[in-house]
Amino acid sequence: MVASSLRSFIKDVRGAKTLADERSIITKQSAKIRTKLRDDHLSNEKKRVNIQKLLYLYILGEKTHFGQVESINLIASDNFVDKRLGYLATILLLDESQDLLTLLTNMLNNDLQHPNKYIVALALNTLGCLSSTELARDLYPDVENILQTSNDPYLLRKALQCNAKLIFKDRSLLEIFPLSIISSKLLANPIVCTHGVLLGVCKVLQAIFISLDDTLQKGSDKNDNEEDDSIEEDIQEDITIIKSISDLIPQLSTRLSSLNSKNLEPAYDVQGIQDPFLQCELIVTLKWFFKIGNHLNLDEITQYNNNFNDLLTQLATNTSSAKNPGNAILYEVTKSIFELKLTQPLRVLGINILANFLTPSKNSNTGNNVKYVGLNTLIKVVPEEPASVQRYRKFISQCLYDYDISIKFRALGLTFAIMNEQNITELTTELMKFLGQISKSHYSYVTSYIDMDDSKDLIVYTVDNLLKKFELYSNDDEKAKLDSLLTILKMSGTFIDLEKANDFLVALNNMDDLNYKINTFSKELTEILDPKNKANTLCGNACLDLVMIWCIGEYTDLIKLHSSTNKNIVNDNSIVKYLSDLNNKYRLSHDTRMIHYILTAALKLSSKIIDGQSMEKLRQIIVSHSKDSNLMLQTKSVQYELFFNQPAAMKKIFLQAMPKFERKNINVSAAQSHNTTGSKPENQNNDLLLDLLTDTVEKTSPNDTSKPFENKQHDIIADLLASTGNKSQNSSSTIKSSPVEVVTLPSGAVSIHDGDELQVYEKIIDISPGLAHLELYIKAKNNKISNIQPLCAVPKTQKLTLSQLRPSNDIDVGKVVRQTLKISGSGKLKLRIKLSFQKDDNQASESEQFDYKLDKTI
Amino acid sequence: MGIRFILCFNKQGVVRLVRWFATSDNSTDPQDEISQIYRLISSRDHKHQCNFFELSDDTKLVYKRYAGLYFVIGIDITDEEPIYLSHIHLFVEVLDAFFGNVCELDIVFNFYKVYMVMDEMFLGGEIQEVSKDVLLERLSTTDRLE
Repeated sequence: MVASSLRSFIKDVRGAKTLADERSIITKQSAKIRTKLRDDHLSNEKKRVNIQKLLYLYILGEKTHFGQVESINLIASDNFVDKRLGYLATILLLDESQDLLTLLTNMLNNDLQHPNKYIVALALNTLGCLSSTELARDLYPDVENILQTSNDPYLLRKALQCNAKLIFKDRSLLEIFPLSIISSKLLANPIVCTHGVLLGVCKVLQAIFISLDDTLQKGSDKNDNEEDDSIEEDIQEDITIIKSISDLIPQLSTRLSSLNSKNLEPAYDVQGIQDPFLQCELIVTLKWFFKIGNHLNLDEITQYNNNFNDLLTQLATNTSSAKNPGNAILYEVTKSIFELKLTQPLRVLGINILANFLTPSKNSNTGNNVKYVGLNTLIKVVPEEPASVQRYRKFISQCLYDYDISIKFRALGLTFAIMNEQNITELTTELMKFLGQISKSHYSYVTSYIDMDDSKDLIVYTVDNLLKKFELYSNDDEKAKLDSLLTILKMSGTFIDLEKANDFLVALNNMDDLNYKINTFSKELTEILDPKNKANTLCGNACLDLVMIWCIGEYTDLIKLHSSTNKNIVNDNSIVKYLSDLNNKYRLSHDTRMIHYILTAALKLSSKIIDGQSMEKLRQIIVSHSKDSNLMLQTKSVQYELFFNQPAAMKKIFLQAMPKFERKNINVSAAQSHNTTGSKPENQNNDLLLDLLTDTVEKTSPNDTSKPFENKQHDIIADLLASTGNKSQNSSSTIKSSPVEVVTLPSGAVSIHDGDELQVYEKIIDISPGLAHLELYIKAKNNKISNIQPLCAVPKTQKLTLSQLRPSNDIDVGKVVRQTLKISGSGKLKLRIKLSFQKDDNQASESEQFDYKLDKTI
Repeated sequence: MGIRFILCFNKQGVVRLVRWFATSDNSTDPQDEISQIYRLISSRDHKHQCNFFELSDDTKLVYKRYAGLYFVIGIDITDEEPIYLSHIHLFVEVLDAFFGNVCELDIVFNFYKVYMVMDEMFLGGEIQEVSKDVLLERLSTTDRLE
């Protein structure tokens, strides 16, 4: 049985036991309404019931289009109740795009002139909600008529609001709007001028300003356009309009000022604030006056600039920030300050208000509301007033620990926005604390009040930005930086992408303080290898694993030598076992990226350990992938195995520590200048290659032996394809990709030659039996030196490898270039160096020559 | 500019009031949008999270829960949130005075009266009257006209 009254229909729907029940009730009722509404002889009373049911269906989200025409028909009734429901249904069921709206024109026209003010009000309300451009044009005179003739605030405010909407629809209406009535009639008469009417006045003015702003925008967008003339005309008309209403500024200002300072009418009191709605609207309206006035530089408006500044200051000081309405006003004040780009003291005031929103005492969710808007606005205004925002670092940091994820995110964004060279250390410490807390809560079911995905997003966002900032402000305190990096890695390595670990590696690799670096990793390795901390290898921190693998490959020899290393825990055996465990772990999980690193680390490690058993284990690690289904891994494994079997002395040369890695921000001209490098170093390099070739040509391709670690950066297949023949090509491509860097003279470099044009310093990087690694720094003393070519000779028992000059073979006055030398063999270290060069772009070649003996033997 | 829509639904997501002031430009079905809004709001922490969030690139939501009912206002991304929270509060206060200790059932069975209150308070998405006394007086007058 389908119910007949609205009440029982609603009850039936609510009472439905299952979704299917509910659906069947709704479908039946919907069909019934459809039939009923089609019946022309249905009494209005019945019609009303059916339209009401239809509206209930609308709320439920059902289809209601079939009732649209009937709703409009109901408006035609003379009965107020019918009319009201008809209008309501029309507003709800129709939208502004529908053609049916034209049906309304006549009815609205009649009702706008109706003697009953409630019916006029209904019509105004409907026109305000649903107005096409045509409706706006056709009915505007009726609305204006009400504004001119009526003295009822109830109708006036509705007419004003409606008018504002009509101006939005059709901008040409603003030219015929009787602006004079605002001050002559509406504001002048205290009986008419209610808060509602004032709200309406504000809305009309705002509508005018927004249309003007549009015209101005168009004017500035289309400077060269043919339409220029018509827009120019529009702008001139606009200026006339603005000038005619500029006298409203003092009137509105006075009203705002008195609203703010007195509390006279209890009817408008909202939580201790006198009509915050009107106050906000007045601020916005005045803001528009000055925005347009300053833009066009109209004296009529700019003369009030100072008064407005004073008014804003008054609002800022007098408004209580205890409750939401007060905050709404304060927020609007700050928005005006920054939108109008007001004077510095006001901007500072604005920042203070916003920062006050962040105070930790506000912990309820109302507190969170202002924190949210405060942070949101601060992020936007930081660039304008960075120093003032800086002062509230503490407040911002506290917001990181807020319960609300959206506040956390905004506080983070703001923290990074204010980070600079001076406060990076302080803020980093704060962010580490935050990372620690959030990583912990990610795993804890008890304290985890935020979503797993959210906390991961937070961590990734923080780490990403921290790394960027670290790079931006390469701060002098490398130790702190290394510690920070490692802590970040340990806390959040499980969350971040493995690709990010590359950034860590680059940062680690480029760190100059070798001693501290080794010390740190020695400690780290001790902790991991300590049999008491068994769980460490099993934790899923892939990024940390990756960094440890890499460090083992690079630094095991140094770690073993380091005084702080506990030999019982960190030794060949334990390190290899650790690597082997990781190999097994990642082989099972098929993580090929990790395996690549493990293979390289195993190979590198083979030149750094002596223990025979461990050596065999390392070989096993490499061999374990010789039948890998991944072709790249298989190839690498096979190649590495061949290389693994080379004599130790040979391997050592190629398995050196990585050179400094620079970001690839190559600029083309610099890269080209590399191509003109002198021939001598090239030759040296090739000689060495030839030496190698005689030994290994049958076993492995020379390219792989000479550059096994290029694999990290180069496609391994490209390496495989490259033959001896295109070696030079290949190396030039390597040179091209080598980045621009600035070489500075390191501390500890010894001057070994002081000539007319050049001064040469030397620094020992590493000397071990059979191998020495030196760096020469060549400095141009008086003139710009170009095309410099170093030629070096060593005793016959030794072999010399010269690398490229960095950053280029041109030196500006006072600048330094670096030349790396690797000497292998035996005997005392002696060098004869000849530097040939051109001075001041002069074609004539000059040279300086000198000998240098080191007190060292290899 | 102004309010884009006003929604009211209960904790179970049953919609009690829908009012669109601006035709939404995007092609998404209004019903989908409502259920998306419900999902987002109901998953938020009532006590600790703030009453504002961004729904899309151009719309922000301001919402507040009164007993089992959520009142939601959708506003432009450039509008300021705090004042709209006061809008909601005023609306609920007026409903409370009009029905006399309003409850969900009042709104369910008298939804057309609630729309009447809404139309007295807002016109085309703008607030037009803020005095509770004025509003209630008007409402009782028009109520008597029936």
